[in-house]
Amino acid sequence: MLTNSIHQEAIFIKGIRSTLILAGALMALSVLSLFVGVIDLTPAALFTGNLEQLSIFLTSRLPRLLAILCTGIGMSVAGLIMQQLCSNKFVSPTTGATISSAQLGILLALLFMPQSTLWSRAIFAFATAVGGTWIFVWFIQRIQFKDAVMVPLVGIMFGNVIGGITSYLAYQYDMTQALASWLVGHFSLVLKGRYEIVWLTVPLVVLAFLFANHFNIVGLGKDFSKNLGVPYNVVLFLGLTLAAMITASIVVVVGAISYIGLIVPNVVAMFKGDNIRGTLVDTALFGALFVLVCDMIGRVVIFPYELPIELIVGILGSLIFIGLLFYRLKHGRKAVRLGSPSSSSCSCPVSALEGGEEA
Amino acid sequence: MNLTAVRSNRNKLMLLAVLVLLCAAAYLLVEVNLDSPKLFAYAMKIRTPKLIAMLITAFAIGGASLVFQSVINNTIVTPCLLGMNSLYTLIHTAVVFFLGSGSIVATHANLSFAVDVLLMGIAATIIYSWIFQKTNHNVLYVLLVGTVLTSFFGSIQTTLTRVMDPNEYDTLLSTLVASFSNINSEIILLSVVLLGAIVWFLRKDLALLDVLTLGKAQAINLGVDYDRCIRRLLLGVTLCIAVATAMVGPISFLGLIIANLSRQLLKTYRHSQLVLGSALFGMLVLVGGQLIVEHVYTYAVPVSVFITVGGGLYFLYLLLTRKKV
Amino acid sequence: MRIHELTKQYDGKTVVDAVSFSIPKGKVISLIGPNGAGKSTVMGMISRLIAHDSGLVEFEGKDIGKWKSKELSKRLAILTQSNNIQMKLTVRELVSFGRFPYSGNRITPEDSAIIDRAIAYMELEAFQDRFIDELSGGQRQRAMIAMVIAQDTEYVLLDEPTNNLDIYHATNMMKIVRRLCDELGKTVILVLHEINYAAFYSDYICAFKNGSVAKFGTVEEVITKENLSDIYQVDFEILNIAGKPLSIYY
Repeated sequence: MLTNSIHQEAIFIKGIRSTLILAGALMALSVLSLFVGVIDLTPAALFTGNLEQLSIFLTSRLPRLLAILCTGIGMSVAGLIMQQLCSNKFVSPTTGATISSAQLGILLALLFMPQSTLWSRAIFAFATAVGGTWIFVWFIQRIQFKDAVMVPLVGIMFGNVIGGITSYLAYQYDMTQALASWLVGHFSLVLKGRYEIVWLTVPLVVLAFLFANHFNIVGLGKDFSKNLGVPYNVVLFLGLTLAAMITASIVVVVGAISYIGLIVPNVVAMFKGDNIRGTLVDTALFGALFVLVCDMIGRVVIFPYELPIELIVGILGSLIFIGLLFYRLKHGRKAVRLGSPSSSSCSCPVSALEGGEEA
Repeated sequence: MNLTAVRSNRNKLMLLAVLVLLCAAAYLLVEVNLDSPKLFAYAMKIRTPKLIAMLITAFAIGGASLVFQSVINNTIVTPCLLGMNSLYTLIHTAVVFFLGSGSIVATHANLSFAVDVLLMGIAATIIYSWIFQKTNHNVLYVLLVGTVLTSFFGSIQTTLTRVMDPNEYDTLLSTLVASFSNINSEIILLSVVLLGAIVWFLRKDLALLDVLTLGKAQAINLGVDYDRCIRRLLLGVTLCIAVATAMVGPISFLGLIIANLSRQLLKTYRHSQLVLGSALFGMLVLVGGQLIVEHVYTYAVPVSVFITVGGGLYFLYLLLTRKKV
Repeated sequence: MRIHELTKQYDGKTVVDAVSFSIPKGKVISLIGPNGAGKSTVMGMISRLIAHDSGLVEFEGKDIGKWKSKELSKRLAILTQSNNIQMKLTVRELVSFGRFPYSGNRITPEDSAIIDRAIAYMELEAFQDRFIDELSGGQRQRAMIAMVIAQDTEYVLLDEPTNNLDIYHATNMMKIVRRLCDELGKTVILVLHEINYAAFYSDYICAFKNGSVAKFGTVEEVITKENLSDIYQVDFEILNIAGKPLSIYY
């Protein structure tokens, strides 16, 4: 018993340590990122009350940083929720048609209400993103998949079809130029007064944290949750709605950013296991860190111009994803869960989604 | 295969060919002013190269997709779904990026095409054999890696264009990458020569396709030098995709649609017929589609958008109805 | 056919370790042994489907790797377990592929006659225009054998031909194996899981254990209580039925 509690404590400290390191790195880089840009800002000038610098700081740099942090946290948490609910490691806003549905919503808003504000566009995007995600999950739950990788494949194709419909409408009504800004995600248009919707991710992520245990249970399967008295369908749809809303509020402001929701939770789970309560904070921090680093790369490469973050994420993210895929192929599903032994129970729910492998 | 089936397939192929001819004639002649020889000549001068380019593309993609499917023994995968066409556009962009847009290679369409094709042959062989080996030929993983690679190549390519010209990257992108509104008809002659050479060099391997569909063990049992044959055929597939992409740009789902339509219509294992069917279906889809796009939609929506939506739905249908993937 | 010091490693793990034996002509030889003993790998190596790391497979006095694949395919046929053919093929079309090493894609009148005989031999006339994916497992296996017969080789290698067949079809398959040898004079080498089939229908048995040959000899020599208990690590009892040593394990 004694050794056991010491063991528990060691795990706890280890868990806290990674969180602290991530938080520290994020703080340092955040501060650094505030002073990267075309116009030289210096901390000294800010403190001495240089009004011009202060205004750049408040209208551009700070909003940008906040948007980046919200995006990183939001996308990775949305991915984590979706993966947990579907108990499939390859589901995410990118591979679950959420992002492409949100883009379709934005286009519809532009079509039906040409004078639409950010808020009305957001409402359209919420509706379509939630709808698209629901349809996708409903769809994959009804099908017996031979292998878990079928699910992202179906999701990507599903997204392709929705994207095709979006571009059909865009071509037909001559909106391709207007839509372009939402197809490739970037932070360069994030200014005070035009990005605040992204703050919505904060309450939504808090909500996700409160319901984390419910998501865990639902991820273990329908019968399992019934046994524990958790209403499966309600929690499933609530969770998906949450993930879709987070995604949509980001897409409306910065456009599509793929792979974060896919990669970040997987990388964290490799080290910390699958218990959503234990990994949620780390996932959020790591996601923010990842987006921040990618954004800084994008700002530096062709200075004074900048590359959209979606391109950087597209390059780094697809490489990491392929790496994860090969890793999984070589070491099997177990190895992705290097983490705490207590979470091993998460790997046994062989719902319809994860069937197939060495059953 | 008994004789009646062979004959009925021959009839089906004839019918397809007639339809293609009708479409081609319609494409050339619809809304052309026949009274004025000058306007007629002008219209022909515009339309003929486009038509030829589409026919070549259809042949290249149709043949390549079908051969690829038989080689890897799976009818749900095509080379374009694995990102071969985005690899080609990336290579083309990278060549211009590193040699400069004013260099001989970049300004001379045929030279640039030749360089791209050469690089493509090398790069694709290395990358894709690595993927197949890494995934132990598990088709689902190959597909997933392929779709991810598509976005990987695409991201690098866009990045390169933005770095080359941060202000006018959109214009640069449209001159770098061919599309249906910007068909690269300068390379028609070279493409025909190249495709002819590919078919000539692979004629013996192509004759082995029927046996290859029995699977690796059976093919070896029947005396096929399997590895060499596969390598040669895959190289041929790669080059065909390069030709098609150079001419009309990337169209991911075309091969999937036409190869499977051909298999469904002909219900045979004979590749001489299947490849022909696939190429004819491709011509029908491209020329017929372009006809509709030009005259019904008055150029508003490019034909590739329709192919993406239709092909994506068709892919989902195939993925979900196959007992075996 | 002579196998000499054949070795195969996967990821540094030796799965076949210096295996040597000779295959007598015109007989039925069964390879038996527990899972992972290396019998299927040996089968793959002697049929050139799997490359060997060291050692030698000598076929009619010549290293098997030195044979032209096409020439070899007229003398040696292999049927593996994995026969998931994706194509829509009729039985007759499948059997016709057996003539590929001789005539390529063009079937000559002589080929047609051989194909007819192969189909008749396997009693598949009624099915010959059916698609193979519409057949039962037993019928499909017979169609595959008919193709091998049409291939007209002296040696026939079968990797677990009774796998996934019920008792009726499995027993029929073994009778066919016997006929291939007795009536057509072929040398048949097969991998079997079922010891009693091996004992009843083969002339020689090669028993594998941990990647090596534990015993090679006639049925009577190999199928003994001591040998089998040693190879499979369970208790055996040998009964003599119809002049054959049949085994019971418990």
